[in-house]
Amino acid sequence: MADLQIINVSKSYGAVEVLRDVNLSIASGEFVVFVGPSGCGKSTLLRMVSGLEEAPVGEIRLEGKVVNRVDPAKRGVAMVFQSYALYPHMTAFQNMAFSLTMAREPKALIKEKVGRAAAILRLEKLLDRRPGELSGGQKQRVAIGRAIVREPKVFLFDEPLSNLDTELRVQMRAELIQLHANLGTTMIYVTHDQVEAMTLADKMVVMNGGIIQQHGTPLGLYDDPDNKFVAGFIGSPKMNFIKAKVEAVRADAITLSDLGGRSRLELPFRNFDAGIREVELGVRTEHINIAQDTGATDILAARVAFVEELGDVTFIHTDLSTGERLVVRSSKARHRGSTECFVKLDPAGVLLFGTNGERIRSA
Amino acid sequence: MLDKKHVPHLLMVFPFLALFAVFFLYPIVSGFVYSFYDWNATTTSRFVGLANYQRVIHSRDFSKAMWNLGSYIVITVPVGIAVAFCLALLVESFKGFWQNFFRSIFFMPVVLPMFLAATIWRWIYTPNIGLLNTIRGLFGLPSVQFLNDTSTMLYSLIAVDIWVSAGFNMVIILAGMKNIPRHYYEAARLDGASKLQEILYITIPMLYPVLFFVTTYGVISALQVFDTPWLLTGSSFSQYGGRQNALLFPVMDMMGRGFGELKFGQAAAYGFILTTVIVSVTAVMFALRKKGHQP
Amino acid sequence: MTTDVGLIRSAAPNYALDLSIWTVLKWTVAICVAIVAVFPIVWMVNVVFAEPGVPVSINPRLLPTSLSAGIAKINTILSETGYLHAYYISITYSLLTIAGVLLFGSMAAFEFALFEFPGKRPMFAIVMLSLMVPTAVTLIPTYLLTANLGWLNTMQGLVVPGLASAFGLFMLIQFMRTIPREMIEAARLDGASHFQIYRHIALPMSRNALVTLAILTFMQTWGNFIWPLIVAPSPQMYTVGQVVGLFNAPFSHVTVDIVMAANLLAALPPLIFFLLFQRKIVEGIAMSGSKG
Ligand SMILES: Nc1ncnc2c1ncn2[C@@H]1O[C@H](COP(=O)(O)OP(=O)(O)OP(=O)(O)O)[C@@H](O)[C@H]1O
Ligand SMILES: [Mg+2]
Repeated sequence: MADLQIINVSKSYGAVEVLRDVNLSIASGEFVVFVGPSGCGKSTLLRMVSGLEEAPVGEIRLEGKVVNRVDPAKRGVAMVFQSYALYPHMTAFQNMAFSLTMAREPKALIKEKVGRAAAILRLEKLLDRRPGELSGGQKQRVAIGRAIVREPKVFLFDEPLSNLDTELRVQMRAELIQLHANLGTTMIYVTHDQVEAMTLADKMVVMNGGIIQQHGTPLGLYDDPDNKFVAGFIGSPKMNFIKAKVEAVRADAITLSDLGGRSRLELPFRNFDAGIREVELGVRTEHINIAQDTGATDILAARVAFVEELGDVTFIHTDLSTGERLVVRSSKARHRGSTECFVKLDPAGVLLFGTNGERIRSA
Repeated sequence: MLDKKHVPHLLMVFPFLALFAVFFLYPIVSGFVYSFYDWNATTTSRFVGLANYQRVIHSRDFSKAMWNLGSYIVITVPVGIAVAFCLALLVESFKGFWQNFFRSIFFMPVVLPMFLAATIWRWIYTPNIGLLNTIRGLFGLPSVQFLNDTSTMLYSLIAVDIWVSAGFNMVIILAGMKNIPRHYYEAARLDGASKLQEILYITIPMLYPVLFFVTTYGVISALQVFDTPWLLTGSSFSQYGGRQNALLFPVMDMMGRGFGELKFGQAAAYGFILTTVIVSVTAVMFALRKKGHQP
Repeated sequence: MTTDVGLIRSAAPNYALDLSIWTVLKWTVAICVAIVAVFPIVWMVNVVFAEPGVPVSINPRLLPTSLSAGIAKINTILSETGYLHAYYISITYSLLTIAGVLLFGSMAAFEFALFEFPGKRPMFAIVMLSLMVPTAVTLIPTYLLTANLGWLNTMQGLVVPGLASAFGLFMLIQFMRTIPREMIEAARLDGASHFQIYRHIALPMSRNALVTLAILTFMQTWGNFIWPLIVAPSPQMYTVGQVVGLFNAPFSHVTVDIVMAANLLAALPPLIFFLLFQRKIVEGIAMSGSKG
């Protein structure tokens, strides 16, 4: 049980700035997921928490104590690596017992603790095997077992499931949720798979280019992203973005024009900054509907590029006359082979972003 | 700059580096210094400039040793590698157990300490009663003084040398052959290449780096040849090199000057001359290789 | 299906005939080469295990004829010469060298392969450059240094100068480079000290390379002729190689069978080693060659 604060942490390798001014507060027992594209600094941040990477700028506090200069082994954190990093010359038991052996714990205690961890992870029958004789999922469980045995205050996972096949990944995800429920320990988890992030996280931290873009609950980020990056990163298929001009601003509504070339849209919006002339609309696929061409101004004409039919839903990928790609989700109607279609945006699902990518919120 | 966190690393490399510095770097430097002094175990040393180098280079033994070395290398390296290559092809043509079996048998001479191989061969070469001469006798041929007849001495040495080293080179070439992807051969077979064409157009070109290594290594060790000729000839500091110095080689000459005549300054100079030769030859070989690689 | 079988049948005899000529040829050559390769060794054994006074060479034969005569000769050598002592010296010399080369080499390789520290690159470069320097240059100055240290005719004189093996270091570095960084980090998080990581992770993981290096070092030390010759010339420090050299000296007045018995005793350890570890030895050489 431990809370963790990351305060003003930055990190550079030579001239390359990898993390910039990271601030994050993690409550005790929280399951936090760092997510972001490759190279955005997730691993670096995680490794700074673990102590494997030095944190010269800023503070990392664990249970209120600054741990920047504390040896990794003494911080009370345990890490599970993407490559498992199991010791190949030791059995599963010896792997899990290694930290206790190093600490010269009595044999009986080691046996008991490893046995308990093995029971949680259903590894009892595999304890005498070496990593070479284990499957990927089993290896990952041993690696998690090695972390559990240490009874850490914080678990750190760096893409622990990305070497597994899809099915196993889903299964291990469920097991991790179970594990977190059982142990109640703070866990920090790195992934670049946003589905994994959404399903696991109490708190999701979206990073890009060494900067925390936003953090919050997965659904909070999904519904209410702070910027275009977060909006686009979370959700699959990605959110659609359409450029538009601001035509008229009233007290509690605005009118946008030039959508997809010619359409208009009336949006309820309070206190819109009248100085903004151009915006970008973000609309998720479920907020776009196939419509009839009634000639109304809020109908957009689109050309069907290709269609993904998944059975329960159909994603229709269309191109607007401006060249913008619009993906429409349709759960009722199946595609009939036509190449032209008309869509209508649901104003309740439209988010506005400024040209700098920042969200423009209705006050 | 010396951070506390680097201390364990430095402690761990220290023993090796200390030994290395004391027993490798220091000797090189001190050897260089010695090479400008005239001294032996008893007299005090005297700076003589380049005199040691001149004395070595102008000595008759040096020319003889260099001449011997040249003839020796020109024969032993190519023949040795050709033999090793053929052995590797031969072994590679067997499968499973027999491949292992022949590989091990052919490798056996490498395992014998050099001093043993040389002494066994000395007995095999013995005039009249030695194995080779006995066999010659069976065919009614006269006995040959293999190690005492200047026309055969060099070849006798080379035979021993190849006997000893062929297995070593074979193993390296074999490993190289194993690394050639199967599909090259399959493609060639589909194109209707014969066995010989496969060897000429696939095996040899693909083995180029390995053959280069074996050649370079072979040349470098041949330049330092000592044990075998030393043991095949007198094998003492008062008597070495064989009749008319036909098997006198540079390292042997150097050792003789150092430990036989106690002229350590000259011996040290000799060492540096030899190193210069070795390094230049190696450099030339690498340069040639680079050139060979350019299209 | 049937046509397929038919096709294979009709093709088979041709193929087999073609093969058989090639096969006979290849076996003949292989067996001849094998004879050349092992004959001197077999001959040595035959000479030893034959009644004294029977010049074996006059009547070359395939198998030893008298076990008891051979044992008697070996007994003579062991009891009447310093051979046993030389054996002791050679074994001690080899074992100490192996221990030192493996210990110091693996410690340094661990650092060079897995960590960054100031001066690493230049140090590494110098050690690797030394692989190019011929033994010829260092031999005499190293001898003089050893003499100055008062180590002539001592075990440390034999062993210590040979411990900083650049080749061994290179081989171990190549191997340890394959240990993933995460493995080391996992051990660090598990509370292992730097030394414990070396001891419990790096060393066991490099076992194969260490065994190979140990065997190669043994072969090399056991066969080292020149260094013992100059640095330990006193009879108390004779190695097997030197004793064999004495037997072989032109005026030693020893018969060929006694000489060969001495040689056989010297050949025994490496031959036994080879029979036990032939795969490791061959692979070790292949590895060091293909890496070069
Ligand atoms: N030791 C290092 N030296 C220099 N640059 C580094 C080093 N380690 C990481 N980087 C750089 O820092 C950036 C962040 O790396 P990091 O490993 O944290 O990314 P990541 O978000 O974990 O990516 P991935 O999803 O691919 O694992 C990358 O651009 C990387 O190139
Ligand atoms: Mg990463």
